[in-house]
Amino acid sequence: MEEELVPKQHYSDAEKQRIFDNEFMPHINSMYNFAYRLTLDQDDSKDLLQDTYLKAFRFIDSFQQGTNAKAWLFRILKNSFINDYRKKSKEPSKVDYQDVESYYNSEDVDRQITPDLRVEALRDMIGDEISNALNALDIDFRTVIILCDLEGFKYDEMAKILDIPIGTVRSRLHRARNLLKEKLSTYAKQMGYKNA
Amino acid sequence: MSIPDQSKMKSNCSNQKDCMEMLQLIVDGEASPEQKEHFLKHHLEECLPCYKNYHLEVEIRQLLKTKCTGEAPADLIEIIKARVAQNTPH
Repeated sequence: MEEELVPKQHYSDAEKQRIFDNEFMPHINSMYNFAYRLTLDQDDSKDLLQDTYLKAFRFIDSFQQGTNAKAWLFRILKNSFINDYRKKSKEPSKVDYQDVESYYNSEDVDRQITPDLRVEALRDMIGDEISNALNALDIDFRTVIILCDLEGFKYDEMAKILDIPIGTVRSRLHRARNLLKEKLSTYAKQMGYKNA
Repeated sequence: MSIPDQSKMKSNCSNQKDCMEMLQLIVDGEASPEQKEHFLKHHLEECLPCYKNYHLEVEIRQLLKTKCTGEAPADLIEIIKARVAQNTPH
């Protein structure tokens, strides 16, 4: 957004309103879901969504028509979350993220996480299991699953939204999915699937 | 994709690490048409672990999409629209 070196536009008020209505508002459900999955709190997610949309409007001259509005909005939301919400998060401060990533990048984890989860077990998960499993993931892993699997962003778009290299997007996704499967596998066992 | 006869499939994948990476590219829509053709039409027909993994990945994504999405509250949408309108001089 504002720190990016894109030529600044000079939209008229009518154009601003039109861009906001036609290009930004259609993504509001996806954006709300992203805000909720990041904060895991109804009130915080409402505030974050509102802050993000007002910011998007304020910085609308940094948005180039014809570029990906959804990715642009998601990036603003992610940055607002990191700057304004992560600090005041009620969660106790987590381990340093680099430690987490280097741990999950170690070969040991690949060997450990090969759950024999079955499609039948997944089909029986009609409650909140998958949602709880997703919410229980460390935030950086949760984020890549949301962007890729729920929102269908491409790797290069995710790299821009998250300010990380594409290779990191891929490896983080791989770890995130393994961790998600591990949690789903635990639920499946609790549901009585012996080999899940 | 046709449903292969599982009894005739390999029960071990000799190339599992690379296959898992390819599978991820395919499920994420990042694989080339040639890669997709080879993996989905040839490899999956004969490799049971990859066949199962593929269907598991597809199912998880389906479950995520149906269970983990929601709609923004209508009153919140109205508040946002109203606040933006206040910022626009008429």
